[in-house]
Amino acid sequence: MSTAAPVNSNMTTEFINPIISATKTVFETMLGCVPERSGLVLKESMEPRYEVSAVIGITGKVAGTMVLSLSQGAALQVLNGMLGIEADEVNADVCDAIGELTNMIAGQAKSKMEHLNASLSIPNIVSGKNHEIHYPSNVTPICVLFSSDIGPFAIEVGFSSNN
Amino acid sequence: MKVLLVDDSGTMRTIQKRCLNKLGIEDIVEAEDGRQALEFFECNTFDVILSDWNMPVMDGLTLLKEIRQRDKDIPVIMITTEAERARVVTAIQAGVSDYLVKPFTPDGLKEKIEKWVGATA
Repeated sequence: MSTAAPVNSNMTTEFINPIISATKTVFETMLGCVPERSGLVLKESMEPRYEVSAVIGITGKVAGTMVLSLSQGAALQVLNGMLGIEADEVNADVCDAIGELTNMIAGQAKSKMEHLNASLSIPNIVSGKNHEIHYPSNVTPICVLFSSDIGPFAIEVGFSSNN
Repeated sequence: MKVLLVDDSGTMRTIQKRCLNKLGIEDIVEAEDGRQALEFFECNTFDVILSDWNMPVMDGLTLLKEIRQRDKDIPVIMITTEAERARVVTAIQAGVSDYLVKPFTPDGLKEKIEKWVGATA
């Protein structure tokens, strides 16, 4: 269950634009495709949009989580796009490729928010239908929807200030 | 030319290894973290070290400091998502030779390799 997010909020300007920009750059460099933003919604459910999630924790002047949410088909395409290897299930190689892709997106976005002095965790991959991602209790995550050559995917972010 | 390639991601090691192979570099030793890299470093002679920053067990910055205690001259190129000025300064102060931000292109890696170890194929 989601509702449309106000696109002119400070949070959107602060966090979302660098992540959208980083996502486009990383996809173009690593997968050879430029994703297009297809929507922006406030998340009201703990369930990610798709069945494969790459999760990175962020700490510093903000605390929170960024999730790359992919369908299984798109996850397999990430491995194929990065290494030219075909897989028929979400195996260790697929998880590694998705994790690194997510690490690059979060890292590049972080570099555009230097004043937050943020650090990233090593990415973790969760897969399976109906899994849940829990954000800090005072945070309503934002979900950015993308369309791309590897299929639709989403980036979910939820931050709270540590100040 | 012998290269020590350090990254916890097998995907990134494969991408970098393919880039190096295209430059005619075949003698590549791979390590999954800083501690493993240090073990390889202590019983091998390398021409250049390519290292990620964020890794489990021992991170790239700690590895860099350990290497500089043993060898002041070997080129160490940090290949990382850590692109902020403060991080780069930290790495320079620790003795990094050069810095390449992920995602990088094959030409970007080639330029760094050639800068530090001379022209390749």
